[in-house]
Amino acid sequence: MINRFFIKMALLPTAFYRKIGVNSLQLKAILSAKLVMDDRRPASIQYARKKKTDKPVSGASWGTIIASAFLGLLFLFAFLVTDNSLTQFTIYFSFYIFILAATLITDFTSVLIDIRDNYIILPKPVNDKTVLLSRLLHIAIHCTKVILPLTLSGLIMVGVKYGLLATLVLFFLFLPATLFTIFLINSIYVLVLKLTTPEKFKNLISSFQIFFSVGIYAAYQVIPRLMGNAFFEKYTIPKNIYSLLIPSCWFAGAWKFLTSPSGDWYFISAFILSIVMPILSILIVIKYFAPSFNRKLALISGSEQAPVVKQSKKTYIPHSWVYRLAAWVTKTSVEKAGFLQTWFMTGRSRDFKMKIYPGFGYLAVLIFLTIFRSKKDRFTNIDLKNTGSILLILSLIYFVSFAIMQVLAQLSFSDKYKASWIYYTTPVRMPGELISGSVKAAICKFYLPIAIIITLAGLVFVGPGIIPNLLLGISNQLLVSFTIAYIGYREFPFSQMETGKRKGGTFIKGLISLFIPFLLAFLHYMIFKFTVPVFILLALSIIANWLVAGSIAQRGWKYFNGKYRED
Amino acid sequence: MANPIISIKQVYKNYGYKEVLKNINLDIDAGQVIGYIGPNGAGKSTTVKILCGLISDYDGTVLVNGINLKENPIAVKKMIGYVPELAELYDVLTPLEFLGLMANLYEIDEAIATERIHKMMQAFGLSDNINQRMDTFSKGMKQKVLISSGLLHNPEIIILDEPLSGLDANSVIIVKELINRLAKEGKTIFYCSHMMDVVEKVSDRIILINNGEVIADGSFHELQSQQGNKSLEKIFAQLTAQEALSDTADQLIKAFDN
Repeated sequence: MINRFFIKMALLPTAFYRKIGVNSLQLKAILSAKLVMDDRRPASIQYARKKKTDKPVSGASWGTIIASAFLGLLFLFAFLVTDNSLTQFTIYFSFYIFILAATLITDFTSVLIDIRDNYIILPKPVNDKTVLLSRLLHIAIHCTKVILPLTLSGLIMVGVKYGLLATLVLFFLFLPATLFTIFLINSIYVLVLKLTTPEKFKNLISSFQIFFSVGIYAAYQVIPRLMGNAFFEKYTIPKNIYSLLIPSCWFAGAWKFLTSPSGDWYFISAFILSIVMPILSILIVIKYFAPSFNRKLALISGSEQAPVVKQSKKTYIPHSWVYRLAAWVTKTSVEKAGFLQTWFMTGRSRDFKMKIYPGFGYLAVLIFLTIFRSKKDRFTNIDLKNTGSILLILSLIYFVSFAIMQVLAQLSFSDKYKASWIYYTTPVRMPGELISGSVKAAICKFYLPIAIIITLAGLVFVGPGIIPNLLLGISNQLLVSFTIAYIGYREFPFSQMETGKRKGGTFIKGLISLFIPFLLAFLHYMIFKFTVPVFILLALSIIANWLVAGSIAQRGWKYFNGKYRED
Repeated sequence: MANPIISIKQVYKNYGYKEVLKNINLDIDAGQVIGYIGPNGAGKSTTVKILCGLISDYDGTVLVNGINLKENPIAVKKMIGYVPELAELYDVLTPLEFLGLMANLYEIDEAIATERIHKMMQAFGLSDNINQRMDTFSKGMKQKVLISSGLLHNPEIIILDEPLSGLDANSVIIVKELINRLAKEGKTIFYCSHMMDVVEKVSDRIILINNGEVIADGSFHELQSQQGNKSLEKIFAQLTAQEALSDTADQLIKAFDN
């Protein structure tokens, strides 16, 4: 619905299009198809939190709009942190350019680097101008969907603070700022495509997306705390030639000049730069970047590129330490298979990384803030008799459960679920061994590094006295992982398509899973101060680990819900 | 004659109300190359999936080397090597990792498996790619890895589902030759394909299935003597197409009459 409006708007100057040699019927066809496809592709802003449902994605446009509006609220910080309007607008435009570039890169890359264009559109009798214009209009429409909601809160804020004229000026300044941002994005594309292959580029983008979402989360956590900070309140952008090197200063200066015209050289030059530079940069894009970009795109799909051969000795086995680790922690070859597969897949599957790493990032931010927020002296003199200190230590130890739970919950899903025929056609006697191998890999890969960090931190900040409690905490953490796997991990690794439909009883299982770490943490808290019970509980916990891990491995075929899925 | 190596008796399979297999009965002798053909949706894949253990809820009996598939699937799976259609694999792994995974699942001794993997990859000309992730591979390269994965444990029975898809002409020759050689070694090969000319050449016996039933069974020459001295393609069309295929082409051409 919203798309129909956009298409109508985009096609208003049809007569003009015809004059410059664009086929407007084709243009409309291409544009409508692209917008429909956009609508069915979830936007990456939502990606990290997205829950897949059986319902096909539709109306993703609205998702983009709402998410952008939410992001826009973050920019208001600029007006709250300082009273100097030049500084305010410099910060505001910096946010705007950065966030817009980030969302467009993450969201739109797959669209721009859509090599299907080469198969579908290029072989048809469509002229270059039509293709180019359809691409430009497509980008423009997408930008509009992001920009309007992104700037809405800022426009209102400025209207309230500085009046209607100020809002109008700001509104018009978004145009050159956006053009300049598009130039930035294009430069990044051209640069990256020069350095790497498109497939690697996509991986790069997804890492970028993860950093982006963690960064946004951190910003939401940190920025409110910065308000009232004396340093920021006093800081103003200096009016000198150097600050004119910062693009966001041009737009801020231009705003100043347009709302209160004066002969100040600084504001005049900022105003001129804000108009000239974007126009210049867009000319560069059209003249130099676009052709080389299109050539590169054509190259991508030119033929199935044979992978570049790396010279390697045949006896060389990459990741041999992983194999050694696998041999060390697993008993049978099937268990080893589960271990190695999970280890390699979790490190490489884009899908998995996109789901897991943002969670880890949020957790890291949260832990960092917990440590930061608690008074510094609390960390330098931790007292093992003090309830506050004990709670802090225990929460640091047990918080990690949630990250591990997330990993375990994802292990059976993959977009390559059809490849799971290998488990069914091979003579696997005890499918449980696959699961236990997989869980062990997840623990070794995702928990052991954290456990080592916690141990080191404990030794540094508290001293050797913490060791029995740390060991108990870590052992309990392993127990949590194995128990959760025992309860919930009933499909083969990477064998299921992710759907919104969960199997019955999942809610109860989830509740139990949440309850286990709390219970163990509570038990631990009760006996924290008494060394002997800690050791007794540690012994019990180790035995329990051994039993639970063993019984996962002992599970036969009848325990598995999973059937081979072909659909 | 010795006992058949594969014996399928009164096998039925439904998906809901849809009967996909209706009373399939087949006895297959060791060392034969079976060409298993049929139109899309005829039940070909379903038969193959039952044989290799992907589908376990069917009615009827399947004996492999005298062992009931339902009672002892593990023992049966040990004897079978499966090369699936359409390169479904975990392609973020490297060939060495993927084949190592398969070797572990087949519980092959690690040293033996590693040597075999290297030899097979070398034979297929993939030695240099052995440590590269397969997501960069062409369809044919993936297919070669899949073929290797099906042969890795030196199975008695090899089930090939469209094994030539994506392979270039030279690789097709290699695989056809491989099929002949494996058959000479006494392996039983169950070959599913839509490529009639290949089936015609490699198979000792051709089984044609349509709508879940076996409608023709015999060597190519036997089929020719029953159906007339035609190519397998023509025989296939004659037995499975509801209406003359040239009519369809005719209708397609007529679509331009406006």
